Amino acid sequence: MKRALLLGMLLVGSTASAGDDVISGVRARLADVPLLRGDFEQKKTVSGFKKPLVSRGAFLLSREQGVLWDTREPFASTLTLTRKSLSAEQGTGAAAYHLDASKEPGLAAVNEVMFALLSGDVAALSKRFRVEGELVGTAGWKLTLTPTDAGLSRVFKSIHLEGDTYVRQVKLDEARGDTSVIQFDKLSQTPPPSDTEAKRLAK
Amino acid sequence: MRNKAAIFWLLVVLAVGAHQVQFWRSARLDTDVLALLPEDEQAPEVDAATRKLADQAGRELVLLVGAPDWESAQRAADLVTAELSKDASLLKPSVLDASSLDAALELYRPYRDRLLTPAQRTWLSRATAEELGGTALMKLYQPAGPRLTDWEADPLGLWPDWWAARASESTARPRDGRLWLSGEGREWVLLAWHSQVSAFALGADGNITTVVDRARAMVTSQVPGGRLVAAGVPLYAEAAASQASDEMSTIGIGSLVAVLLLVWLTFRSMRPIVLVGVSLGIGCAVAMSVTALVFERVHLLTLVFGSSLVGVAEDYGFHYFAARQGKPPSERGPLMRSLLPGMVMALLTSVVAYLALGVAPFPGLRQMALFSATGLVGAFLTVACWFPTLDTGALPETAFARRFAASLARWPRFTSNRVWWSGTAALVLFIVGGLWRIQTRDDIRQLQGAPAHLIADQRELGRLLGLPSPAQFFLVGGQDEEQVLAREAALKARLDPLVTANVFAGYRAVSDWLPSAEQQRADAKLSASAEAQAVAAVAQATGEAPTRARFADDVLTPERLLASPASAAIRQQWLGRLGEKHFSIVMLRGLTDPSMLPRLADTAEGLEGVRWVDKTQEISKLLERYRRLMGGLILLGYFGVLLLLVARFRRQAWRAWLPTVVGTLVTLAVFGWVGEPLQLFSVLGLMLLLGMGVDYGIFMLEHPGEGSAWLAVALAGVSTLLSFGLLGLSATPALRSFGLTMLLGEVTIWLLTPCCRLPPGKDVS
Repeated sequence: MKRALLLGMLLVGSTASAGDDVISGVRARLADVPLLRGDFEQKKTVSGFKKPLVSRGAFLLSREQGVLWDTREPFASTLTLTRKSLSAEQGTGAAAYHLDASKEPGLAAVNEVMFALLSGDVAALSKRFRVEGELVGTAGWKLTLTPTDAGLSRVFKSIHLEGDTYVRQVKLDEARGDTSVIQFDKLSQTPPPSDTEAKRLAK
Repeated sequence: MRNKAAIFWLLVVLAVGAHQVQFWRSARLDTDVLALLPEDEQAPEVDAATRKLADQAGRELVLLVGAPDWESAQRAADLVTAELSKDASLLKPSVLDASSLDAALELYRPYRDRLLTPAQRTWLSRATAEELGGTALMKLYQPAGPRLTDWEADPLGLWPDWWAARASESTARPRDGRLWLSGEGREWVLLAWHSQVSAFALGADGNITTVVDRARAMVTSQVPGGRLVAAGVPLYAEAAASQASDEMSTIGIGSLVAVLLLVWLTFRSMRPIVLVGVSLGIGCAVAMSVTALVFERVHLLTLVFGSSLVGVAEDYGFHYFAARQGKPPSERGPLMRSLLPGMVMALLTSVVAYLALGVAPFPGLRQMALFSATGLVGAFLTVACWFPTLDTGALPETAFARRFAASLARWPRFTSNRVWWSGTAALVLFIVGGLWRIQTRDDIRQLQGAPAHLIADQRELGRLLGLPSPAQFFLVGGQDEEQVLAREAALKARLDPLVTANVFAGYRAVSDWLPSAEQQRADAKLSASAEAQAVAAVAQATGEAPTRARFADDVLTPERLLASPASAAIRQQWLGRLGEKHFSIVMLRGLTDPSMLPRLADTAEGLEGVRWVDKTQEISKLLERYRRLMGGLILLGYFGVLLLLVARFRRQAWRAWLPTVVGTLVTLAVFGWVGEPLQLFSVLGLMLLLGMGVDYGIFMLEHPGEGSAWLAVALAGVSTLLSFGLLGLSATPALRSFGLTMLLGEVTIWLLTPCCRLPPGKDVS
């Protein structure tokens, strides 16, 4: 649950940020997007695995409805996060899991955080994270988020964001030592969700 | 001889005085309603369970601070925290924070493989290798991942679900470093504090209540839509203590002023006032000391009830001065000797009447009975030992006393004529009609006089938090801990369908946090096989060779869990060893519909070692049983008294007996007409009424036509009914009912007794 939220949070996390100058600077450089789609490449370093686990795929973020995170490599799978639920399904249909907000009350809290993020509520984000950052060149920026909340710091050591008009890279340092680096590519505000995508988001 | 008695009594009084100083400094007063009730000898484990649940809550103060949005709620919570932290000697915050969760995580970590939810158990035993492998792969590649363990220790991501199931036992969730819940139109912060004050002394100003009220005022005034809901035993105890203080002053001081005023009206001299006051003071002090020495703790209600003693214990002083009036001081020695037999008789009948209250094995009633009986003895001994020595001057008869004594001749007297018979017929109609309407109620609430706002807060808090009911639960027993846990599992299997059917919201059981060893071994085996398949699938897909982590060799035992702070959630439900067996409690959440209780009682049917406990119903049944028992005893008492009176007064015995019988019936009839239900405590009032009411009749028959006897009876009656009338103002329904019974009965008996007096010039013989 939380992990899916964080995904959503990170993708849009750039609308909110730090120390007054940097915050307004980063805000000014970021595009305000109701819809964003693109490709991703994720490299996960997990204890017990010698090489990083690399996956590639496409994502769609709808600020109003949720996130679709579809992996193409090394195997096909889809992940859907909406206000009501989280569901994941393997392309082969062999495995699937589903979480319901009504059964996991934490999801409601997660949604509230998302709204705070989506509406650019800097105050909400800086309640959970200490936000530090810098502006890079004429269009870029970098932010480092350190959790101040006990629940979050049990999961993350820190989170690093880089971007310009959009978030381009997210690096997660987990408390237990694993790390993930996610790169975004071919970012675009069109086309609008297809019928299949809209159906998944409506779940 | 007399001086020796006086000196002896002085020594006793000095000892009592010393004890009193110590008692009031370190008063151990009981405010718990359960302390008034008898122990259940047949099922001591039920008592132990109830007591453990009550003790746990003994010092806890739970607060919910709410506002329309989360920002304001947090601000409000900060205001409350600041206010409550001001006096560290009063309240301390309870640990509800993340560190206790970390401790729990570390304790459970080596046993992760044997902690499964029922849904996981079903899934793991059914899932194919492909499904297990696919799920493990998806969770491994899922972007970001707040996991509670390394991947190797939980490749299927099962553990967070297990914790989510544990967390669902409460509606509160961690949020921004606080405990948060949402409900009834507000966002709430949960705060828990505990009282640093151990005992509740009388006259305490309700310190915690004051602090909470101040915090509430700040929340309402500074946060729009802000609200503070507080509940906890300390608040109830403080309310009970301050209420008891108020009632003791009303009843005690009220009766004292009335008694002294009567003395002043009748004797117009300072000496009787001082001496009667001294006898009452010593009586009360003796009562308090003896009760405190015999019982470990004195209950607040005992003191409130005891305040009515003032109106009964003045009798001896009244008798002495009524007889002493108009006689020279030199006669006071012989006078006392001549009064003694009568006084001892009066004392004995009253003491027996009070002690009869203690027949029921209610510790609270026994305290009240002992308190009143010893108080009477103390007052009597003061009169008998000290009055002749201290009462030295002259005491002329006053005009008031003379006029009052003469009034007896003008009091109406029952004669066989049309007016009296039609009056009697009307009275009979009134009584029959009233008795027809009488209702009964046996309910623990009659012992509880808690302010309505506290009860409302408690309900709201229970609703929002989904707290389990402390009055209805399952008690699970077994030969050893393992059997208790296994039997809990059998019970839970029967409860699950009821949760699905929304009969109640859920349950809290020790075995959820500590499955039986057998269950742990089975689950460890199940997860080992499923996770081996998952790891193999991941190894194949990634071309690597990940291995599954090792877990503890042994199972998680009760000793290990209980030794850790992580067991806080279930410690109060684990009763451990009681006698030959081990016991635990399974509590129910969100049980709001009382009509469902029989269904729950049925659930325990046929489950060995499982017993359904409905404390509320048990107490009601207990109160009902004793109401019936005492009612029967009263009937016997009336016939016994009638026999005694017949033996003494022959055919005139009805003159002493009838007023008390009519008094009792009129009281019952009034209860019937006004809809006041009959309960154990009104029945006990009737018992005391029998003991005291008959005295007036006896006195009038013993001294027919004597004005001084009438004077003494009148004074005693007025002060007695005043005391009990004031007790009728008590906020505790049981005491109010007792007081009302005594008031109505006493007035009727007091009015009727002279009507039944002997015709002028006749006596019993």
